[in-house]
Amino acid sequence: MLLTISWLLPLAGFVVELAASRWMPRTSRLPAWFAVGCISTGFLLSLTALGIWSFTTAPAVVSAPTAIAAEPVEHPTAKQPTAKQPTAEQPESEDTESERTATTHADPLARAWSGTFYRIAQFGHLDLSLDYYIDGLTLVMFAMVTLIATCIHLFAIGYLGGELNEELVDHAVTLPDGSHFHRPGRFSLFFAYLSLFCFAMLGLVLAGNLFQIFVFWELVGVCSYLLIGFYVERPAANHAANKAFIVNRVGDFGFLIGLMILCTGLGTLHFASPRGSDRAPGLYQLVRTPQGELTVTGAGREKTVSLNVPDGAPAKSLPYWLLTAAGLGLVAGCLGKSAQFPLQTWLPDAMEGPTPVSALVHSATMVAAGVYLIGRIYPFLTPEVLLTIAYGGCLTLFIGATIALVMTDIKQVLAFSTISQLGYMMLAMGVGGWMAGLFHLITHAFFKSLLFLTVGSVIHGCGHEQNMERMGGLRTKMPFTCWTMFLGVIAICGLAVPMLPPLPWIGTLAFSGYHSKDSILATALAFASSNPVHSLLFLVPLLTAGLTAFYMFRMWFLIFFGAPRDVELRDLSHDAPRVMQVPMFILAIFAVTIGVAGEQGPLVALLRTAEPVAVTAGMLGAGSNWTFPGEQEIHQQHLMAGGAALLTAFLGTGLAILFYAVGAVDPRSIASQFPRTTRFLQNRWEFDPLYEQLFARPVRIVANWCVLLDRHVLDSLLDRLAQGMVRLSGWDRRFDEAVVDRVVTTVGTSTWNAGELLRKWQTGRLRHYVTSITFSVVLLFILLFLCLPGR
Amino acid sequence: METVLFALYALTACGGALGVVLSQNVVRMAFWLVVSLGATAGLFFLLHADFVAATQLLIYVGGTVVLLIFGVMLTSSSPFAAMKTTPAELLQGGFLGLALLGVMLTTVLAVHWNENNEMLRQVDSQVNDLTYNPPETGNTSRPIGTALLGARFDRDLRPESEGLSPSLSPGYLLVFEIISVHLLVVLVGAAYLARAKQVVRNRTDSRSPEQTAA
Amino acid sequence: MSLTAYLTVAAVLFVCGVICMMTKRNAIAVLMGVELILNAANINFVAFAAYGPIGLDGQVISLFVIVLAAAEAAVALAIALNFYNNHLSIDVDRADELKN
Repeated sequence: MLLTISWLLPLAGFVVELAASRWMPRTSRLPAWFAVGCISTGFLLSLTALGIWSFTTAPAVVSAPTAIAAEPVEHPTAKQPTAKQPTAEQPESEDTESERTATTHADPLARAWSGTFYRIAQFGHLDLSLDYYIDGLTLVMFAMVTLIATCIHLFAIGYLGGELNEELVDHAVTLPDGSHFHRPGRFSLFFAYLSLFCFAMLGLVLAGNLFQIFVFWELVGVCSYLLIGFYVERPAANHAANKAFIVNRVGDFGFLIGLMILCTGLGTLHFASPRGSDRAPGLYQLVRTPQGELTVTGAGREKTVSLNVPDGAPAKSLPYWLLTAAGLGLVAGCLGKSAQFPLQTWLPDAMEGPTPVSALVHSATMVAAGVYLIGRIYPFLTPEVLLTIAYGGCLTLFIGATIALVMTDIKQVLAFSTISQLGYMMLAMGVGGWMAGLFHLITHAFFKSLLFLTVGSVIHGCGHEQNMERMGGLRTKMPFTCWTMFLGVIAICGLAVPMLPPLPWIGTLAFSGYHSKDSILATALAFASSNPVHSLLFLVPLLTAGLTAFYMFRMWFLIFFGAPRDVELRDLSHDAPRVMQVPMFILAIFAVTIGVAGEQGPLVALLRTAEPVAVTAGMLGAGSNWTFPGEQEIHQQHLMAGGAALLTAFLGTGLAILFYAVGAVDPRSIASQFPRTTRFLQNRWEFDPLYEQLFARPVRIVANWCVLLDRHVLDSLLDRLAQGMVRLSGWDRRFDEAVVDRVVTTVGTSTWNAGELLRKWQTGRLRHYVTSITFSVVLLFILLFLCLPGR
Repeated sequence: METVLFALYALTACGGALGVVLSQNVVRMAFWLVVSLGATAGLFFLLHADFVAATQLLIYVGGTVVLLIFGVMLTSSSPFAAMKTTPAELLQGGFLGLALLGVMLTTVLAVHWNENNEMLRQVDSQVNDLTYNPPETGNTSRPIGTALLGARFDRDLRPESEGLSPSLSPGYLLVFEIISVHLLVVLVGAAYLARAKQVVRNRTDSRSPEQTAA
Repeated sequence: MSLTAYLTVAAVLFVCGVICMMTKRNAIAVLMGVELILNAANINFVAFAAYGPIGLDGQVISLFVIVLAAAEAAVALAIALNFYNNHLSIDVDRADELKN
């Protein structure tokens, strides 16, 4: 209930702000405060919901006795509509599990609330409805999204202060006569778009069936388009918005294929039905057994997956390759949305939008939607799909990190950093670390949005200057921003205080990024040690962790330290106003503390309540050649992975300090020694020209052919047709004039002539009349005599 | 005797009529008309219609023809001699007239009047209540007078025979009244139409139409 | 005499009256033709009153005819006088304002 309200509030906000942008004066900040109110209320509501959830649902604790986690809990029904029923898959899973591992885990479905908001229609087996599916993951995402959104709304009030004028000069747009473009400010419109985006994102998180996710998926894409292209008059912004939407569309094509396969093969799209309801079992219940196994029979091409139909229903099965294809399709959608290889080209260009947009949409939430989706559809991903995800993520994180090394625009650095971190998450998901990936998602959201906000404050303070090479030594002028960014940079690098024993509640003394990255690398190492052929999946992330540290510190040093490269810029810069400092502060706190205690901490515990059974038990690889590590195995690898990660991170930091802070080695000389590599990296691995050649040019050629076809064939056809029609109408006219008119005129003239003729009869003379009478009488009589039978 | 008288009167009437037709002079025509009307009155006497014959003589001969003479006198002017009908029209008129005569005679001669009358008499006495009562004598003034007043003695006072109920036929009272009013109207109308006005005498004045219209 | 004879006489009179109306140009002459016609009709009526089934009715009707003929003659004469006063001619052929 609470979640429904907090979900729908931003929609109300959107509507109100659209109205406000019409009616209220442009210089009013009221719409913005209204939006902030909506979203912060949403945050409070989701926090409350989270609290209720945690207290009424016992969190799964690793190595806790079976009894606690076993029973489904009574929920206070007063607040809940009767549509909701908790699924109550019974704890037989616990019994089998307790035999195998000491880790116990109640079936996540026992704690999920799934139900229907509104059933739109039912056509035979096809059931269209608005569903919801609420478990720990949902609540965590809700809280995260609403909190970050609140902070960013506050930040945007300060950042977009320039839009409050009736007329502002847009320096990025030059008119043909050389002057800059003047336009009225669009303050409240921005908040309208932000509210719409929040609504869409929350709807995506809340959705209970795949189709609904897709709907909100698209809506999020639309909002991204609107927000990136917020400065509509700038051609670069328009191109970026188009690119974002189109590349997303390419991914969505795969999504649709996956949807279709699942719908036809499994007959349903919703995740789980409450037990005891009359609906068909949901996807979670269909594909894997309650123990998390994938029942696979046959081999090679004939492999089929038997579906878990309820008792009494006819047995159903799905070809294995079809399930894999469905998985790949859905993953393609995620690749597009989360800017993974090969669909990552849109994210750097999306930095054309205002910085709050980049912070909210393109670092914390929308790009996280892809990872979230993979988390949701985890139970029906076959091992082949998972491995594809892992390699894709691996490649992406490497690409992102290497490009970020040479970027000079601060937002571009962060964009590629985002790509790289998302690659980490994908990698984690791919090697069986469901929890690790999502953990990193949450932490990354916080510290990346923090970083974007600080960068935004730098941009705002330097008068919209984005090139690092012109900055330097801003530490004295912008201390708050400098040290907040420092917190964020440490978080993303994953630094920790080493060699310290874990403290009682806090665990290792580190910021959140360390914990999440640590769990990712632990999972990767576990996977690599079980399947040595895939060792690359561990080595590359390890190396990239060092690269990450290097480029992040590079950025920090270049901005805030050293002699200012543009003294004038330095003199004009100023620190952020209070309204922008507050959100940065809040986010900084969260970036530091959200991952506290790592895998023993509250966040992970909350996530684990929603973890699919397959993951826990390590049953993911059933039926395939690879072993995916279970919790036990991951736990064993922790120490080694963590140590290695920390090592590389410190190495990277050290190098950065060497290059940029101390200035011992000049990076420019290194760059000049590897010119081709540098250029390759600076051109973003030449992806854009590649796609241009591969896709854009053929399309243009085909378009040209179409133009020629249209002009010479179709148009000439139409012309000839038109000429024929003209000729035909000419004949028609002639016919009309010659025949029809003639008939009509003849009738008229003959009548006239007859009249003229008869006219002469009327002489006006009495005697003639009498004569006529007599004559007629005689005639009549004669006729009568002739006609009547005589006597 | 009757036949002789009939032939006399008939020939006189037809001759008078022919005279009317063939005369060129209007006054001579009026004279021949008098002759014809008089002979007709004689025919009436032969048909036992004394009252009608007398009325004919009084009104037609004594009144109407006088009227016509007056009209001739009042409208005489020099150019009436120029009013001659063309021979073509005469021929046409004569031809048509003869054709009409032929038609009518054919009709008259084709019907067997006696048998028809017998048949009608029988039918009438059986079906209708009408009695078949032609005047035996010429003494008709009383029956006509009372008929005009509304009482039909010639019809209603027959002896009762079996199966026939007594009847009261309506007379001609209403018609009588209508005719009276009609005469009144005619009088007034004629007086108005023929009121004295200034006669136009070959004037080219533009005032003449207004004057004559006054 | 027989009914047929009387009817013949009436027919002759009638035709003469018609010819008068057709051929004469003097309005008074036309009126005389009208009188002849009415007279012929009277003979018919009275003949049928004597020989036919209508009895006294025929005579009464012929009375009315006489009266009406007189009235009609008066009116017609008035019209003719009027016409004469307007056109100074009694020629019926002059009264052709309805021509065409």
